[in-house]
Amino acid sequence: MLKNWIGQLIIILAVSTVAALGINAARGGGVALIGDWPSRTSGGEGPVTPPSAQEGDPPFITLEDAVTKYQSSDVVFVDSRSPEDYALGHVTRAINIPFEYLDQSWDTVIDSLNRQLAYVVYCSGGECETSLYLGRHLQELGFEYIFVFYGGWSEWVDSRLPVTRPDAPEEGGGQ
Amino acid sequence: MKRLLSNDWLTLAFRMAFGAIFIYAALDKIQHPDQFARIIYNYHMVPGPLVNIMALVLPVSEFLAGICVVAGVLYRGARNYLLLMLVVFMVAITVNIIRGIDLECGCFTVSTRAKSAGLQLLIRDVVFAVPGLALLASRSRRWMIENAWLRS
Repeated sequence: MLKNWIGQLIIILAVSTVAALGINAARGGGVALIGDWPSRTSGGEGPVTPPSAQEGDPPFITLEDAVTKYQSSDVVFVDSRSPEDYALGHVTRAINIPFEYLDQSWDTVIDSLNRQLAYVVYCSGGECETSLYLGRHLQELGFEYIFVFYGGWSEWVDSRLPVTRPDAPEEGGGQ
Repeated sequence: MKRLLSNDWLTLAFRMAFGAIFIYAALDKIQHPDQFARIIYNYHMVPGPLVNIMALVLPVSEFLAGICVVAGVLYRGARNYLLLMLVVFMVAITVNIIRGIDLECGCFTVSTRAKSAGLQLLIRDVVFAVPGLALLASRSRRWMIENAWLRS
C-alpha cells in the first residue's frame, strides 16, 4: 500500500481528516461540521438574509414583498451593482447607485433622493452584499424607509418580473 | 529535457518550492476555516452541508501533502494529490469565469474587474503547477526520507 500512490493518498487523506477534526475540536468555538449555509433563493420561509446581517440593519424582504412594493408608486428600487451590470439589465425603473463606486461624486445623487419615499435596495443575489452595505449607508444618512431585497437580481429575473435590457427595453411583467 | 528535470538538485529545488507553496497557502486557511468555508460556498459547486467539512479537511490535507513532498514521505501520493487539487481549482475557476460569478462575493456579474481577478487566480495556479509538473517528469528519488523504508 505504501508503494502505490493511491494507497499513499488514502493515508494522507485519512490522517488529514483525523487531524482536521482534532484541530477543530481543540479550537474553542470551532466550525460546525455541517454548515448552515443560506439558501440562495427565498422559498416561502421568510426572506433570504446574508450571513453578515446584524441587528439594526434595514429589514430584509422576500420576493413577494418586493413585488408588492414594486407596484407602489411610493417605492423606488435601487440597484447597487456596478454600472456595467446595471447597463446589461436591471429591474425596470430601478435607479443605479453602485456601492463599490460610491464616493463624494455620489453625494449629490443621494442628496437629490426624496426621503419621504421608500427604497428597496438589491444587488446580484447569491452572496452579493452591496445591497446590504448600501442599505446601511442610506440608513446612516437618515433615510427611514430602506428595505433590502437580498434575493436580488437573480431571483427577480428567475420569476420573470419586469426588467429592462438594452436589447429588449422592457420585458417580463407576468408572474 | 527529462534528463535535466531528473537532476537531483533541480528536483530537490522543485520539491521545496512546490511543497512550500501549499504549506504556506494552507496556514491561513487552517487558522480561519470560517473564511475559507465562505470562499468554497462562493464557488457554487459544493452542496451546503459539505462546505464546512471541506473547509476543515482540505487545508490540513494541503499542509500535510506539502510536508510530504518536501520531506519525501508518501511522495508520489502527495505530489499527485497536490497536482490534482491544482487541476480541480483551475477547472472551478474557469467554470465560474464562464458562468460570470464574482468569486469574491459569489454573485453573478459581468464586471471586467471580477473577470480579471478570476483570470489572475487562474494564471497563478498555472504558475504553481510548473514545479509540480516538473516533479512528475523527474526520475530523481534522492534525498527522500521514504527511501529508507521502501528499500527495506
